[in-house]
Amino acid sequence: MARIALVIGALLAIVYPIPLQIRGTTYYETVGFLVLLNAMLGLGWNVIGGWAGQFDFGPQVFFAVGAYTAALLYVKLGVDAWLGLPVAAVFAALVCAVLTYPLTRLRGHYFAISTVAIWMIAQPIGATWEFIGAAQGLFIPVKPRSNVLASALALQFTGPTKALGYYYAALVLFAVTLGLMAWVERSKLGFYFRAIRDDQEAAEGIGIDSRLYKVIARSLTAAVFGAAGVLYAFWALSVFPEQALELNWSTLPIMATVVGGIGRLWGPVLGAVILIPISQVMSTTLGAGPLAGRGIDLIVYGLVIIVIAAFRPTGLLSLPWSRWFGRQRASVASADCS
Amino acid sequence: MTELAQAVVNGLQMGFLYALVAVGLTIIWGLMEMINFAHGEFLMLGMFGAWWLSATLHLDPLLAIVPIALVMYVFGVLVYRQLMRRVQGGDPFTQIFATIGLLFLLQNAVVAGFTSDYRFVNDTLLQRLSGAKLTVLGIMFAVPLLLAAGLALLLFLILYLVIERTEFGLALQATSEDRDAARLVGIRPQRMFAVAWGLGAALVAIAGAILVNFFSVFPQVGFPFTVLAYAIVALGGFGSILGTLLAALLVGVIQSVTVVYLPPAFKDAFVFASYLVIGLLRPQGLFGRF
Repeated sequence: MARIALVIGALLAIVYPIPLQIRGTTYYETVGFLVLLNAMLGLGWNVIGGWAGQFDFGPQVFFAVGAYTAALLYVKLGVDAWLGLPVAAVFAALVCAVLTYPLTRLRGHYFAISTVAIWMIAQPIGATWEFIGAAQGLFIPVKPRSNVLASALALQFTGPTKALGYYYAALVLFAVTLGLMAWVERSKLGFYFRAIRDDQEAAEGIGIDSRLYKVIARSLTAAVFGAAGVLYAFWALSVFPEQALELNWSTLPIMATVVGGIGRLWGPVLGAVILIPISQVMSTTLGAGPLAGRGIDLIVYGLVIIVIAAFRPTGLLSLPWSRWFGRQRASVASADCS
Repeated sequence: MTELAQAVVNGLQMGFLYALVAVGLTIIWGLMEMINFAHGEFLMLGMFGAWWLSATLHLDPLLAIVPIALVMYVFGVLVYRQLMRRVQGGDPFTQIFATIGLLFLLQNAVVAGFTSDYRFVNDTLLQRLSGAKLTVLGIMFAVPLLLAAGLALLLFLILYLVIERTEFGLALQATSEDRDAARLVGIRPQRMFAVAWGLGAALVAIAGAILVNFFSVFPQVGFPFTVLAYAIVALGGFGSILGTLLAALLVGVIQSVTVVYLPPAFKDAFVFASYLVIGLLRPQGLFGRF
């Protein structure tokens, strides 16, 4: 059953932009891009937050590290995005490992605040460091490409295919992240992470170095954020501190993860599919009316999170779907027999 | 040298205001060990209340403190009863999520009602004194800030006495120490938590009514104060009221001294760098007892 749903979901994700592209309405392709980007970030956050059980409020720092690394490589050395992307992800993971190791001495709320502290320190550095363009940031120039294949290889799409190109680039990165996380979930790493979350002392008792594995967990998160940062930077054609270090890069993925189901592989994906379009749909339906731009979408987010936290903190995926769904199937089957 | 001394004095005066913002959090987080990421939004509501009362009824923010504190006390109790009580027993993460939801809800409800424009409260009692300065040994004290600092200190003293010296304060401490034991001696923990949330909300709203004399009012004003307040409470030591005051003064001084030597963007960075250093070397905070 789950396999059929997966195949249908994958097919939908691949096919749905095509009729839109033919009709020339690329708006909902960009919505899809943002859904995939946030789903990817949510998958990343789920490692440190969901599996390792450490509340990380500052992964946007590594989003910025990734975005800046690839942008610098491109602007200063002419390295294309697909080459810069793995470099940026690895670099973000390394920076994260170095910064996080001392923080792992702190636990619970103190760890959460220390991740905010790193973010607060990163902001003025980003805003004043001349090498990375200070407050103006870096502008990513578009080089003319001869055809679509060249654009795809350079991760630079322009004109009418821009939205479509970045949508599929996001889909590829999302799929890679999902595959990686599916592997992590079943690997020894995943079990170590969850052991630390459930009982740190017991985990240490059976020989798990909790500090080391927390660092590994957060570095995996950082690598995903770094890769997503590269994609976003090349989509936005620029990187600057206020954009790359925005708090939304952590709050939206966190909310998506919580709504879908924290600590579940598909939780952040479901959450992003539900939450992210709300904001886009709102801005089109409210149009230029009196409530446009008044944060109505964020009010809805707030309410959704409050309701989930109060009534089902383990998320929508934790609802007994298989029982509800299974019973329905069973009754259909018996109806067929008679 | 005078410049540095002046920076220290300015920092101390700001520190008293920070202390007022942080003290509500000391009660909710430090004492009752519940997390509230919407703390700054309570502050923002206090500031908006003061602005609204001043704009419609021409009530001075200093006089508006009384109605604002009462309303926000009720609001804090309601937040506990309707939301936080449900998430209290479960995973600590759930409290974080619930209050992040509250943050989004409150902040954007105000955006929907009043837009994101910056607002100013003009011609208040404190602002009328704005020209007045006191000079001691070549160091200037701005009278409005000095008065606000004095007010903050007074409130702090009252709170300190209530928590440390009254039966009610002891009941609050007992609840935070051991809920079941508190119940055995006739304290109703749910009620204590509700009162703590009411007090926390009222105190931070009072801080808001004082801050409108110096800061502009807008829906997003709260979050920077939230993170600053968390750093202050953690620096001062969990649940230590006096520690919170001293940490807030320290934070004010760090900020104003940083600005003397570095671009203003760095003033919070140094606060959080000190939080990290102290947090790693002395996890119980500067003045924490445990």
